[in-house]
Amino acid sequence: MAMVLVVAVVDYLTGVEISVSLLYLVPVCWCGWSAGRRAGLLVAAASAAGWLAAVLLESGPTEQPWVLVWNTLTLGIIFALVAALLATLQSTQANLEAIVVTRTAKLGREVAERRWAEAQLRQAHAELQSTQMQLIEAAKMEAVGRLAAGVAHEVKNPLMTLGMGAEYFLRRPPANADEATLLQDMKDAVHRATTIINLLLDFSKPRPLQLAPEDLNASVENALGLVRIQLLKQHIEVQRQLQPDLPRLPLDRTRVEHVLVNLFTNAAQAMPSGGTLTVRSELQQAADASVGPAVILQIDDTGPGIPHEHLPKVFEPFYTTKPPGQGTGLGLAIVHRILQIHGASITLRNRPGGGARATLTFNPQPTPLS
Amino acid sequence: MKRILIIDDEASITRSVKLNLEALGTYEVHQENHPRDAVHTACEVRPDLILLDVMMPDTDGGEVAARLQEIPALKDTPIIFLTAIVSNAETQGREASIGGHDFLAKPVDLAALTEAIESHLNP
Repeated sequence: MAMVLVVAVVDYLTGVEISVSLLYLVPVCWCGWSAGRRAGLLVAAASAAGWLAAVLLESGPTEQPWVLVWNTLTLGIIFALVAALLATLQSTQANLEAIVVTRTAKLGREVAERRWAEAQLRQAHAELQSTQMQLIEAAKMEAVGRLAAGVAHEVKNPLMTLGMGAEYFLRRPPANADEATLLQDMKDAVHRATTIINLLLDFSKPRPLQLAPEDLNASVENALGLVRIQLLKQHIEVQRQLQPDLPRLPLDRTRVEHVLVNLFTNAAQAMPSGGTLTVRSELQQAADASVGPAVILQIDDTGPGIPHEHLPKVFEPFYTTKPPGQGTGLGLAIVHRILQIHGASITLRNRPGGGARATLTFNPQPTPLS
Repeated sequence: MKRILIIDDEASITRSVKLNLEALGTYEVHQENHPRDAVHTACEVRPDLILLDVMMPDTDGGEVAARLQEIPALKDTPIIFLTAIVSNAETQGREASIGGHDFLAKPVDLAALTEAIESHLNP
């Protein structure tokens, strides 16, 4: 309003000039843009009134008052239109800005949702792949089982004939030393073949577990006792880091000790010129509270580690890196199988500092597989 | 001399077992390779112990054992089952399920076989 008054005074002082009259547009525009439509229209009316006042003061009463009224009204309408237009423009711009802000926020949410969905999809894909691998593994084991049972019958009968034949001749005085050696070799060969067939049968069709609450540390000590001579012979030092107050685990002790002897023997074979065998047990809280704590057993050796390309295959039946005749390729497969039917698991990795580490995870309340 | 009857459809097995056991000098061993004739042969031989294969064509070891035990004279004759379809570990505890008879996994070595035989004949 002050601006309108100033313009009216200027208008009066300078005479009624069209160029000066245009100055009324300044408060009209400013008010229409910044103060809204209603204030703009008020200032437009005030401007028209200011203009009329300036004209009347300057030229006195007119002989054609209707012309003056007409001009005032026209000017007022023009000012009102300008104010309304600017107010509408300003409001539209504000609306647009609000829409942009809303849409940007929505887009941000959609991008976040998409990312979350992609992460879910990746996780589902990984789970699917893992399930697929397990199914393939199970199918493979089933095939091995069928094959083993079929082959066993066909092979064990001839083996018995061969073994009995060798024993018959071994009981008689040999013609020479070579004959005796050959016969003993035959008997040993039958024995080796029998061991492999029996391992294969046990692997493919495991006996039911005889579960009882057991102290895992005691089983570790028993298994270490069984391999003590081998460890001494190879100058392997044993370091025990066993947590004393572990909960008792539902285990088939004989078979778990079989697993441990197998793993200790493997570790010893990796250190033919001596080293350190470290056995560590501890109760570990799981990240997921609903899962409950797990008992972890780690077996570390200071050997050369396992070549990277062998790592994915070490638990496969018949996979061996030992020379022909020296390994059945069933040792770790049976270890894996025995732990699996206990509801436990095993991983084999190379340690960053050198050597290999077997990590066994036992659940104190597992659901052993039947 | 104790009489032993071995019933197995594979002649090479009955022959090798017979030769080995007879070489020990304390057993008289008879063999039968046709499970259908097993009861007839057993009635003739009157063995002190029977070695019986489990998986045979037509008639399996379990069926033969049941028929043998129907004969009053053979009712108490101990039977040692020989099987090729299980491992050694699996045979442990299985005798309970087949009426207290022994259960040996093929291939059986002579020492294990004579030990099982002796545990019945000279307990």
